[in-house]
Amino acid sequence: MALAFALSPLAVIAFGAMLLMLAEAFSRKRAGLALGATMIFAAGCAFSAGVWMNGLDDVDGSVVAPWLVIDRFTIFFQGLLCLGGALASLLAGGYLREHGIDRGEFYSLLLFATFGAMMVAASGDALVLFLGLETMSIGAYAMTAFRRTSPRATEGALKYFLLGSFAAALMLYGFALLYGATSHTDLAGIGAAVAKGGPRTPMVVIALVLILCGLAFKVSAVPFHMWTPDAYEGAPTPATTYMAVVVKTGAFAMLLRVLLTCFADKASMSWSSGWPPAIAWLAVITMTVANLIAGQQESVKRMLAYSSIAHAGYLLVGVVATMRSGPQASASVLFYLLTYGVSTAGVFGSLILCGRRGAEAVSYEDLAGLGRRHPAAALPFALFLVSLAGIPPTAGFFGKWFIFRAAVDGGFYALTVIAFVNSVIAAYYYLRVLVYMYMREPAAGAPFATPMRSGYVTAALIVSAVLVLVLGITPGTSLDVAVQAASIFGGG
Amino acid sequence: MIPVEYYVALSAILFTVGGVGFLVRRNVLVALMSIEVMLNAVNLALVAFNRSHTDAHTGQVFAFFLIAAEAAEVAVGLAIVLSLFRVRRTVRSDEADLLKN
Repeated sequence: MALAFALSPLAVIAFGAMLLMLAEAFSRKRAGLALGATMIFAAGCAFSAGVWMNGLDDVDGSVVAPWLVIDRFTIFFQGLLCLGGALASLLAGGYLREHGIDRGEFYSLLLFATFGAMMVAASGDALVLFLGLETMSIGAYAMTAFRRTSPRATEGALKYFLLGSFAAALMLYGFALLYGATSHTDLAGIGAAVAKGGPRTPMVVIALVLILCGLAFKVSAVPFHMWTPDAYEGAPTPATTYMAVVVKTGAFAMLLRVLLTCFADKASMSWSSGWPPAIAWLAVITMTVANLIAGQQESVKRMLAYSSIAHAGYLLVGVVATMRSGPQASASVLFYLLTYGVSTAGVFGSLILCGRRGAEAVSYEDLAGLGRRHPAAALPFALFLVSLAGIPPTAGFFGKWFIFRAAVDGGFYALTVIAFVNSVIAAYYYLRVLVYMYMREPAAGAPFATPMRSGYVTAALIVSAVLVLVLGITPGTSLDVAVQAASIFGGG
Repeated sequence: MIPVEYYVALSAILFTVGGVGFLVRRNVLVALMSIEVMLNAVNLALVAFNRSHTDAHTGQVFAFFLIAAEAAEVAVGLAIVLSLFRVRRTVRSDEADLLKN
């Protein structure tokens, strides 16, 4: 019974997705599907919270392990992924109808892809990891290509698909080599075998490199980020939200799980012979390049795509810090994912709210003068941008604060300074949107954005705004949750 | 009996051929085939390694799962290629260049 309860978040989403697919096939009306999907995600969140509060001491891990690992880390991510899925489905409910692409399969894809991401977070075996990753990615490819008549959407989806499959193949070859070297495919078994393996065999080193490359593709770290801006720009905005929030969260769950389970021994976690320097370099290049390119964008949507790459860089700083700060650093990564997720969902939601059918708000000029004409749409937009820039009293500030503190505690001073300088550069392009909204007027005769009306989008914005403010004013409770979730990884 | 190392070497060669093909060729269908070659190299490696880890059939079962998952992935991939061909009349990835900074 306890086991069935522990698996309930996964079961709710899986059965919910199947029910929604049936409902979509037999009903003529599309209107209720977004609400239905949101309810299923809300139930997933509720069950995750229930499992969390009930505790996991009475769950007999050996029944499902090594295939699925149900621990506090898993439950934290399942709740977070369901929250991201709920926000994306609310946004889809408004966006798809407004832009005339209201086909019901979007919501089933959303649910199944989120199920895959939850499976990734729970995976205790390379096979489950791969199946979850594919379930998540295939759904995301289909959602990106959802607007079939648009050449941009198709092109974005094509690049996403090709590079995503390439990355999956790299990771798989890495795990195949690890299987050859250790005779294990379960992550804990690989970890134990790598730890007592003595001197490194070339096979393990090649496997680590291949797996790191695959992971870097999935979290879209520079120089493996080529697909990200195109896929984010081409996709319908709710699908972009989904990729920026749920897929990225799932990818970081995978990164933490693989690195801190399989490669957590002294040699792999040391600066001279392990993965931390590789991740540190990735973090530095990712933050710097993404921020410099983001500042030059003309399209706000594309700028936000580069900004999400830059945020992956800050998160990687936290991952590096796990080398010396241990669970404190992984907790800061988890907390950052939470703050980044609600801010990003909100900012893409605001962009959706500012557009109408045939006049989607994409460029800075589209938003000129929005603050005076439509203060109710501009205000939440401003709040989420401020949060992404990391200015108090918003969630983003504490997200960055805890990551930087974990990095300083670990003695990574240069890395912290680079990350700090980068977050100052990033403030420039976030505030540029505010300048356009509040201090510019559209050029005479130029098209400008008129906000749409949608209860779904408004609801998503209210939920994210409340979370951004609550996390920004009283971060203590949720940080405590993140610390407990990260405590499953032993000392650094 | 052919030693396991031979199979592993063959799979490494196949994987490299696939990887280079993916990075060099601009035809989307060839890129898809290159990915398939890489994934089949993974399958070959898994099955070959299973010969030296005889306590369980993990590698072989893993390969079966991979075959199924690859089929699903290619189905979506071909659908995307088809939709690209419909709107752009091309299957070359260097002609899909609408999205730029």
